[in-house]
Amino acid sequence: MHSFLYASSPHAVPEEIADAHRSVWHRIASPGSWWTGTQRVEAARLTRDARSRRSLPPWQRADPLPEAGLLPDRAVELVLKVAVDVHALSAEWVADWVEEFGDAAYAELCAVVVCTTVIDAFAEALGVDFEPLPAALPGEPDGARPEGVAEAGAFVPISKGLPGPNVAKALGLVPLDNAAFFGLVGSMYALKRFSELVWEEGALSRPQVELVAARVSSVNECFY
Amino acid sequence: MLLRASSEAIGEEAELDAAVGRGDGGVPHGGLLVAFAEAATRGSEELAEVRAQLLAAAGEEALVQAAATVGSFNGLVRVADSIGIPLDEGTRVGSGEFRERLGLNDFGGSRNTVLDVGDDVAAQGNALQDLLGR
Repeated sequence: MHSFLYASSPHAVPEEIADAHRSVWHRIASPGSWWTGTQRVEAARLTRDARSRRSLPPWQRADPLPEAGLLPDRAVELVLKVAVDVHALSAEWVADWVEEFGDAAYAELCAVVVCTTVIDAFAEALGVDFEPLPAALPGEPDGARPEGVAEAGAFVPISKGLPGPNVAKALGLVPLDNAAFFGLVGSMYALKRFSELVWEEGALSRPQVELVAARVSSVNECFY
Repeated sequence: MLLRASSEAIGEEAELDAAVGRGDGGVPHGGLLVAFAEAATRGSEELAEVRAQLLAAAGEEALVQAAATVGSFNGLVRVADSIGIPLDEGTRVGSGEFRERLGLNDFGGSRNTVLDVGDDVAAQGNALQDLLGR
């Protein structure tokens, strides 16, 4: 059972956030469509390990040691890039990766790294201990590929025919992981009141929150 | 874009330069929020001190909300850049001036968007609505 009680936090964490974190941990531990639960948890572990060295310049970072045989070397390489150097990904590198493993397998690994990053970045920012990684659940990937995705100028197909910005459609190849991710963002940022420019509730005003968001995006060198 | 729009909605004018670490954005506790976002994202040694300062100045609920935003956006940027999504058309048109001024066009992800095409005025008018999913 994954607790996310934030017992070490001196600050009250809303239960809605803790609930979303529990759901994502369960999702990461579960078999996906292209990777097993064991492989997904290994990707989460590598993400956490890589993030712990991100303040060092790239040439001083020792790569985390992967568990032998759990993930192909190029999958490990992808995880590490998305975890700490995502802005440096190129279309050419991704196309080469996708040719070997497939576009949905690519999106699924990215989603695991992303979800792990959200939860660990929150804990680190708040100054609380990391939650132990979940135990992988048994089962095999189902190989399911969703309908309703199309090329849209991104590295891989994204959801089509939905309203909203491209980032909401980006993980369309892995709908369960996309739902888990936006469950996180909804609880931690603003999904229910995203369309409202004036927030009446909360300690921070919307401009204050958007200032934090803008600085995070800029430090990550995110153009989008 | 949302920083600017949400400030205007309450009759204020945010200073967008704070996004690239220049100034306090013209919002309450802006300097501390910028420093917190940067330290938490970089994993730098200043984080504990900045966290304590933000807690003292803005309170516990604000600290948790800021930490949650840091977490969310460290995820959102990775979704955007790992999938290589282009900028939404309305945002591309509506953000040209400040992207240029803040140097955002130099970020690696700009490769995923064709920038030197004509601006569609209709798209500019709908930029915020597109972003907000209205």
